Amino acid sequence: MSPSIHSQPSPGAFAVATHGLIKRYGRETALGGMDLRVPEGAVYVLVGANGAGKSTTFKILMNLERADAGRAEVLGLDSAEHGPRVRAQIGYVPEHHAQSYRWMTCGRVLQHAAAFYPSWDAGYADHLSRSLGLRLERRMGGLSKGQTRRVQLVLALAHRPPLLLLDEPTDGLDPVVRRRTLTLLAEHLADTPTTVLVSTHHVHELDTLADHVGVLNEGRLVAQMPRDDLQRTVRRYRMEVPEGWVPPPELQPGELRRSRAGRDAQCTLVGEERDVVERLAATGANVRDVLPLQLEDAALAFLPDEVTQ
Amino acid sequence: MTDLALHSTPGLRAVAREQVRAVGLSLRLPALAGLALLVLATLFVGGEVVRHGARIGFHPERWMLPGVLGALLPLAVWFGEDRFGGAFLWTLPVDRRAHALAKVFGGWVWLMAAIGVFVLWLLAFALLSGGNVLGAETMHMATPATSLEPFDPATLRSVRWGPEPVLWLVPFTAATGTYLLASALMLGPRQPWRWVAGTIAAFFLLTIAMETSTTPWLRGPFSDVFQALVSGPYGLEGLLIAHTEGLRAEADVGPGQSITYWQSLPDPGGWAAATLLWLAAGAAALWAAASRHRERRRP
Amino acid sequence: MLINLDPRDARPLYLQIMDEVRRALVVGTLRPEDPLPSVRELAAELVVNPRTVSQAYHELEREGVVYVRRGQGTFVSVGAQANSEERQALVRAVAKRALLEARRSGVDVEELVTMMREVAAREEAAANQGAEA
Repeated sequence: MSPSIHSQPSPGAFAVATHGLIKRYGRETALGGMDLRVPEGAVYVLVGANGAGKSTTFKILMNLERADAGRAEVLGLDSAEHGPRVRAQIGYVPEHHAQSYRWMTCGRVLQHAAAFYPSWDAGYADHLSRSLGLRLERRMGGLSKGQTRRVQLVLALAHRPPLLLLDEPTDGLDPVVRRRTLTLLAEHLADTPTTVLVSTHHVHELDTLADHVGVLNEGRLVAQMPRDDLQRTVRRYRMEVPEGWVPPPELQPGELRRSRAGRDAQCTLVGEERDVVERLAATGANVRDVLPLQLEDAALAFLPDEVTQ
Repeated sequence: MTDLALHSTPGLRAVAREQVRAVGLSLRLPALAGLALLVLATLFVGGEVVRHGARIGFHPERWMLPGVLGALLPLAVWFGEDRFGGAFLWTLPVDRRAHALAKVFGGWVWLMAAIGVFVLWLLAFALLSGGNVLGAETMHMATPATSLEPFDPATLRSVRWGPEPVLWLVPFTAATGTYLLASALMLGPRQPWRWVAGTIAAFFLLTIAMETSTTPWLRGPFSDVFQALVSGPYGLEGLLIAHTEGLRAEADVGPGQSITYWQSLPDPGGWAAATLLWLAAGAAALWAAASRHRERRRP
Repeated sequence: MLINLDPRDARPLYLQIMDEVRRALVVGTLRPEDPLPSVRELAAELVVNPRTVSQAYHELEREGVVYVRRGQGTFVSVGAQANSEERQALVRAVAKRALLEARRSGVDVEELVTMMREVAAREEAAANQGAEA
């Protein structure tokens, strides 16, 4: 659709870096050359439609799947070469609600995990369980989707990993628990030096936590930048346009909405506001108003309309 | 750059220990079922002892049960695990092949415990019923004349056969052998049930073909291979029961009375050879199966 | 001190937090030597990245509005009075927002100012009436 937009990468370490990652499932291409860059300490939100490749990326980072080409690095370690060591640095909440250990109680599952993570903080696990309303004596098999999700969150956070990979972490949770989860995440970030890579359908939830955004479309990153850059360069322009006016393609326009009568038009455009206004003026459009966009809308501007329908 | 000390991975011993515990937890229900069966068997056999004064000898090597138990246990160990998907097991910071083997080990520890209980149960019955444990036994051996019809007990000769305590290991090795093979079956194929069903179907078809066909190559080589695999000197029977079934026969000598006689005596050497072979095969199969889940490094 | 972030404000979050602190100063809910909420507390309350809160506090410290007492947290500076400069900045920000809104509705400056005075007067009258009754 549009050429990728990438902000200048800031110098410094990346917690996650993928280089030309390619993954195919049969004839389907899940990832078609992905260059993810997650700076250390960032809260990076990955946005994209279902099947865009978000979960696949997470699995490759965990070395649960092997890429067909390219490299993935976590904290400087190649995730294929050092699978177990990489996984020791990661707190992973998978997309699906795994149903292992049906006969174990929640408390026992936490104890079980503790044996595998030398950095496990049992007191913290307790605090998280209580905050999320987990009853430790209940069996895993009898839990609802939301409750299983909560257990997975505790499992991911309790060993205070340097990297959190959260695939739809609030999926299946009711609004109260969602809020609680995000608050816990904010507290966790304050207590532990952590990088977070989170994929979600509810971008607005993470609006205030996110500081980086990546937009994934059909296995490629069509945008990747700090959220401030995104919100500064993606805005909605209300203008008066002449008959038959078409937005300049280099501004990566979204859908153009025109009023039935009159010359009003509205369009989402990409670029520094000053430059965009100049360009528009040059093409005969008279800008009346510039609306900044919420993070979610700004990110979705990079996805083709058929996807965002 | 923030100073992040990388977290370490757990040691293999800690992993093995935790898997023993976790697998133990998962086997609680089957263990209860087993215990219930044991109680029933105790009542039944105990009844026989009390009523008829039967004497139970201590022959743990003659039981098929340990082998069967070893074959069935992996079902319970791997029940519910999404082995070829995103099982929680694989997301842990342990080398995946090693982790699979650690889980197999966990099950094996409990298997040996169960077999131990079984052998002790047999011993208890032998001791309580006054049966023979360590003393020499009189065994009836067949002579060439025995095979002539009709059966004449006079053709048998008596032989004193000392106890071979090494044969008391048979239940443990038998169970281990079948456990290794069955674990390989659970770990290797995506659909182990298809393989089991397929093997059984093939077995039946082959048997029918062998029985009914007139083509010599079908009866000869297949039959030979099958025989070798099961009852030959290195056959499955050696692993499971030290050939004691094949070597033994029973014949009626009067109303309600029968006599047991042997073609040849149980041989620890033969048993050891068969066992080593099957254990090696089981270990190889298990390694191959576990390797299907190994960490994929770049070619 | 209670901070609220406007979800529709597209400015960088740390700037919004800084403005809220300044506003509290001008309005009087924050006085010199008052403690600010800890980074952790504020981050949890606003569900904001703690680094953003840190950045805001850092900038405020650079401007001299707040200072850090080691081991105890961040406090409002003694000299950070609600001085006329701060007040001016706040009024300017309010005016900018009002003008933006007005422009969007096609209302010009003069119209806006006139109507503001009218509405303010009416509201005061209504409040006085309510007080008398």
